[in-house]
Amino acid sequence: ETNKPVEPAQPTAGMQALKSSRFLQVKNESINYPEGIRSPNPALNLGNKAKGRQYDKDFLLQFQEVFKEKPSVDWDMKLKETVGDGTESARPQSAR
Amino acid sequence: EQKSTAATSDGEIRTVFDDPENFNVKHPLMNMWTLWFTKPPSGKGDNWNELLKEVISFDSVEEFWGIYNNITPTSDLALKADYHLFKKGVRPEWEDTQNKHGGKWAFQFKDKKAVNIDALWLHVMLAAIGENLEDEDDNEVMGVVVNVRKGFYRIGLWTRTVGKALPSEQNKGRTFEQGKEVLNKIGRRFKSALQLKENELVEFSGHTDSAHAGSTRAKAKFAV
Repeated sequence: ETNKPVEPAQPTAGMQALKSSRFLQVKNESINYPEGIRSPNPALNLGNKAKGRQYDKDFLLQFQEVFKEKPSVDWDMKLKETVGDGTESARPQSAR
Repeated sequence: EQKSTAATSDGEIRTVFDDPENFNVKHPLMNMWTLWFTKPPSGKGDNWNELLKEVISFDSVEEFWGIYNNITPTSDLALKADYHLFKKGVRPEWEDTQNKHGGKWAFQFKDKKAVNIDALWLHVMLAAIGENLEDEDDNEVMGVVVNVRKGFYRIGLWTRTVGKALPSEQNKGRTFEQGKEVLNKIGRRFKSALQLKENELVEFSGHTDSAHAGSTRAKAKFAV
């Protein structure tokens, strides 16, 4: 049976959470982050004019190991069309 | 009716740190950003426009990491490839009308083996999306770029002006001195994101200078 229609890939729970979650009001909502997680640098977001969307590097780096979901189910295909494997042409010629 | 019941019972805020599969809030960025990729030319007369590809746009911290964690690292790219991270609506080319009067800060890392280009590019992207490169009213940062070349990696930061008021903004906004001071401040923050030493100079040049010089080796207007 090679002609079976391929089931469309289902978005993962993480993909769906990203899509359905709402934007935090960084300036007006205080968040109790789990222990060990730093808040965004309050100094960056406390000014009268601040919109509360400035984040320091250390705050942002905390997400690196936490959120690894692909942006969409067709991401691999999309990536192939744009970035490719990044190495297809103009490959440095091996000197050895 | 069921829906509203669900909504009220779900009033608690869950971040990605509480539950990466079932969070209900995400962290907004100040701007929507678009990631672009320049494919290395195949050598068969490709049109540069076709080599410049829009990859994806995003406006939350969580989305950024989903992309970053699932895309080819700079260190694995072929020669002549670039990543560009620009504010949405700005094409990463000096021909874009929004870049016409602009310029860029740039630094070349000539010892490719000695630098961790992935970490440097990541830190520059984080400084851009976290809005650490400029102050809110500066309105200068257009985007950041990394170039993979034979003899070097180069990281650049594109600005809207070269310090001068734009033709459409005569008599308002900043004087040339103030404009230059804003660019220098941005240059110093860029330099600090790249963790360069004091004696490693980051140089600024206008795009039209680069275009007229016929190469990217335009004369630097200033350096920090």
